[in-house]
Amino acid sequence: MTVHSRREFLKVGGLTLVGLGFVPGRRWPAAAVEVIEMRSDAAGSRVWFDPIGLRVEPGTIVRWVVRENVHTTTAYHPRNDHHPLRIPEQAMPWDSGYLVNPGDHFQVMLTEPGVYDYYCKPHEAAGMVGRIIVGKPLGPGAQPFDYWTGRAGTEGWHRVPQVARKAFPSIARILTEGRVHVAGPAN
Amino acid sequence: MKRFAVTALAGALSAGMLFASPNAAAAQSKAPPGGAYQQVSKLVPLPDFLPGLGTLYVDPATLPAGPFLAYDHQGKLVSSIYMIPLSDLNSHKAFDNLKIAKEKVDHVDMVFNAGHPGVAVPHYHIIVWYVSPTEAAKLAK
Repeated sequence: MTVHSRREFLKVGGLTLVGLGFVPGRRWPAAAVEVIEMRSDAAGSRVWFDPIGLRVEPGTIVRWVVRENVHTTTAYHPRNDHHPLRIPEQAMPWDSGYLVNPGDHFQVMLTEPGVYDYYCKPHEAAGMVGRIIVGKPLGPGAQPFDYWTGRAGTEGWHRVPQVARKAFPSIARILTEGRVHVAGPAN
Repeated sequence: MKRFAVTALAGALSAGMLFASPNAAAAQSKAPPGGAYQQVSKLVPLPDFLPGLGTLYVDPATLPAGPFLAYDHQGKLVSSIYMIPLSDLNSHKAFDNLKIAKEKVDHVDMVFNAGHPGVAVPHYHIIVWYVSPTEAAKLAK
């Protein structure tokens, strides 16, 4: 277990707490916790978040856990390598950094209502993305992928790859099912 | 057209075998290979030992194609790996004079990979094995 292998991140309202390393005895505020697994087949040919779509209430802690391969969970936000803004404007973007070993995890408390789209850095081009709806489907993440085209201040933003666009579950499906799974080899 | 690109790549790999240096090959048979080769896990955030492949070394100047030299738990060279992005295959990019260890080739695997630190795009692992499939299977853990 390395310092980076158990990186934890907690956002509470406008306050951001970052902890590096596992701290015995650390207590998170009482809140619901939802787990999203970061998966891969043995060859690294198929990679996915499970569930890929999730609906939660504001104040829920979402925890990503590596099961296989090396992954990140990274919010679609201009601060993250000029990716387009696809989380609520008032929300703090996150980037887990590389989670290298099985069991490594990263978590964030989502308090701002809206749609949160995120991706895995080494696997975005392979379509490894996910979507969380906190409360209601609001904000930039509820807009079409290219909603920002032509707007001032968006110069240099990268477009979401086509393979990733196709991978996102629809907002309607997430609202209906609550949790959306992909048909991975292990399912 | 993809089939043509793969065929061309296989030809380039064969040509690369002709240029392998005996001295360099001998030095590469045991980890670490020395020279310009560096352990991949020291260059990018990956585990030291990659299940299914082994402990990898690469000359950073040759990225992303490689070769990556793979070693088993005992430090024995087991394969040379070339990592070729799909975009390069689709654009018919040629790879000439790729280096290879001077070892007897047992078999070759071509495996799609969705990406990983260092080659964060979909690509193919072209694995030139110097050990049998049975020995290769022991690298699973």
